[in-house]
Amino acid sequence: MSSFSHKIDEWMKEAEARPESAVTIVKLIARRLRELTERNEELLTENIALQNGTRVEEYQKRIAHLEYQLDLLKRRFGADESMLAELPVSPAEAATLSLLVYNNYGRILRLEVPADALSLGRILDEKLASSEQPRLLVVPSNEEVLMLFNSGRVSTHAVGNIPTVECGGTWPWEQAALPDEPRAGEMLVCVAPLSHLPLSELFLQVSRRGCVKKTMTSLAQSILGNRYLGKSTLQKLDQPFDVILCQKKDSFAFVTFEGHLLGLDVDALPYSAEERIKLTASDYVIASFVPHPEQSMLFVTQTGKVIQRDNLEIAKSAMSRGQVLIPPGRLEQGVRFIGAAAVRDGDRLAVLDATGSLTVHLAQALTGSGSIEAGSLILSIGVLPAEANS
Amino acid sequence: MSIKVGIDFGTSNSGVAVYDGQHVKLLPVDPKNVLPEVIKTVLYITRDYRASIGQEAVENYYRDNVNRQRRFVKHWTGEIDVYGADMHYVQDVFVYVDELQPGRLLQYLKTALRKERYAGTQIFERYFTVGDLARTYLSLLKQRAEDILGEPIQAVTLGRPVKFSESQEQDHKAQETLRQAAHAAGFREVDFEFEPVAAALDYEQSISQPQNVVIFDFGGGTLDIAVMRLGDPRRREVYASGGVDIAGSDFDRTIIEKRMLAHFGLGRVKLHPEIMEMIHAVPDWMALPYLGTPINKNILDKAIQAGIAPIQVKALRGLIYNDLAFTFYNRVEAGKIALSSDGATIISLEDKDIALWELYTRHQFETDIQTYLVDVEKVLLDTIARSGLEPGEIDAIVKTGGSSNIPLFSEMLARIFGAGKVKKSNAFTSVVAGLAIKAKM
Repeated sequence: MSSFSHKIDEWMKEAEARPESAVTIVKLIARRLRELTERNEELLTENIALQNGTRVEEYQKRIAHLEYQLDLLKRRFGADESMLAELPVSPAEAATLSLLVYNNYGRILRLEVPADALSLGRILDEKLASSEQPRLLVVPSNEEVLMLFNSGRVSTHAVGNIPTVECGGTWPWEQAALPDEPRAGEMLVCVAPLSHLPLSELFLQVSRRGCVKKTMTSLAQSILGNRYLGKSTLQKLDQPFDVILCQKKDSFAFVTFEGHLLGLDVDALPYSAEERIKLTASDYVIASFVPHPEQSMLFVTQTGKVIQRDNLEIAKSAMSRGQVLIPPGRLEQGVRFIGAAAVRDGDRLAVLDATGSLTVHLAQALTGSGSIEAGSLILSIGVLPAEANS
Repeated sequence: MSIKVGIDFGTSNSGVAVYDGQHVKLLPVDPKNVLPEVIKTVLYITRDYRASIGQEAVENYYRDNVNRQRRFVKHWTGEIDVYGADMHYVQDVFVYVDELQPGRLLQYLKTALRKERYAGTQIFERYFTVGDLARTYLSLLKQRAEDILGEPIQAVTLGRPVKFSESQEQDHKAQETLRQAAHAAGFREVDFEFEPVAAALDYEQSISQPQNVVIFDFGGGTLDIAVMRLGDPRRREVYASGGVDIAGSDFDRTIIEKRMLAHFGLGRVKLHPEIMEMIHAVPDWMALPYLGTPINKNILDKAIQAGIAPIQVKALRGLIYNDLAFTFYNRVEAGKIALSSDGATIISLEDKDIALWELYTRHQFETDIQTYLVDVEKVLLDTIARSGLEPGEIDAIVKTGGSSNIPLFSEMLARIFGAGKVKKSNAFTSVVAGLAIKAKM
């Protein structure tokens, strides 16, 4: 205290020696006083939050979310806590693969895929070809999935909790599980694997009309807590299409019904929804993925034609038409794309055709022959990764 | 034909200029600086030995270092023989090395030239002598000047203080180190001119009649005084010259010692000699980087946990381990500069773990550096006496160098010689302009 009094005496001496300095000193002290008052208010607010328990609640929520993430990691690595302490562990100890076939109504058929299966069974649905096509997702059976609805709502479910159907059988949709029934006016738009959440930096969303938006995974606590991720759309008639977990340094690709491929640099993408591709009125996004350097990209048409590309060209402008995958003449003949994926050598493709049959094809064989042999028009594809089968 | 330039290799700032016989052209060697003709005498060397200077060096340093991660590994550095009464054994010596350190920022290179005990420094795997550091800086400065001029520079007139050191041997050694460094940087022809004489040559351009002039060159590292006859190039004469190792960096150090150490625990930490030692090392820019060891961090962490002046010790830990020393010295220097025009200023540093705020007045500053005023006045009057002139016979006092703007010294000059005789030249460029004129002679 005495040293502070001494300081004040020194300031007074300056004011006595040069009266014009008094104004400067008062201004500087007043500014400091204002800063300290603001800081004091912040601390008092913090104090109130601590006293009434809101801060405690907030930390409890944060801890619960961290525990949830840890649980995801444990399941992902198939490890207990003692093993986690010795990270890095090798990923996914040969978990069985589950193929999820899901439709807009929230119905999910889960099949555990045998390593050597070529035919998986058949969905009984007369309107399969004419209604919104079901989508396929292959995940390890110990995975956690995020379900995104067209309202922007999300929910999470453990794959292991979804009942399985018998491989090789025939299944009506009524047999399918309904882990989270869409609310009135809602539709399920995608199911995405979630266990990489603690290791990922961003959620990346794309809409049917090519709007993209990224969200930091550091917000996952509030997203999952509030069960709301958002729609990533700009126009009223647009619908969310997909959500992917990725890193800032990744590239992101999406493909449209009329065969346009757009590559984007994730780091350059916006945090608010932004349209990144010029689409014709009848065009829409049918697939999106994050390609890795060792992967090649496969694009599949309704008739089973397979196009392979190894390199993804990143769009330079903010609004692009994307790369064209087929000549305009083929487009006029009615060729349309139904799926695309990034695959490694040895990966297999699960294919759903218009008769409801689910078949499995080796990706290498498809790129060799250039087409998928299917009994009917192809509706949807999913990738069975090779590494999980080994 | 190659160009000869003048280079002012200053303690805090440097510059390059050329003279075409009529006009001096100051080269904008640091486009990122507020004054592009002035470049900070700082050198940043990265782990892969890429070097940068000036504002670029500062920016690289900030980008790579501030609040970065550290990882200390134990490195074997050698062994020592230990002899006892009836025994002898050899002991290994280890040091902790921060293997994530991306680079080293070096400043006050010129001061290092005149420090008898400072031979050089280890920068990662290589040892850089003081000459190596000066050579690296000068070669980059030369490169920048050549890029501006568009042709090679083969010759240089370098400025030097009247005395690098009080010791004649050290003075000679410092000049020769600088000469070798300039040759190694690619200058084939190197000569020297006293910095105050160079400032005089610049001033001479503005006078029409012969005058007795005192050059008062008060920069970052030294005070150099020259009493000269100027105005008639055929009868230009240096009557006397003198100098003393007092300048801006000493004032910065004094401010830190007298006003800032309390923020790092001085007066509150007692009975902890290791922490006291760290606090007292804060004003020493050469010592501070070496304090960042795991052992010291452990000591500071324990003190914080034990509640020993936790706010101040945390600030000390932040200063050492978040690489904030350079920012801190800059803030102190900025505060000092502000007091040349204002009666009061704030020296503050708000960063991780540090919230430092100090209202500092000109009265406090003048009280703090009073002892230096006495020494400076003595050297000035001695030099005038040796010139054989009386203060009344001096026609003009030419002030140059950043510290010459400090009001306490301006008032002293006005008191001795009369306010009307004290001329203000460009504090940062008059020496380099004079060196360029000398290079053309």
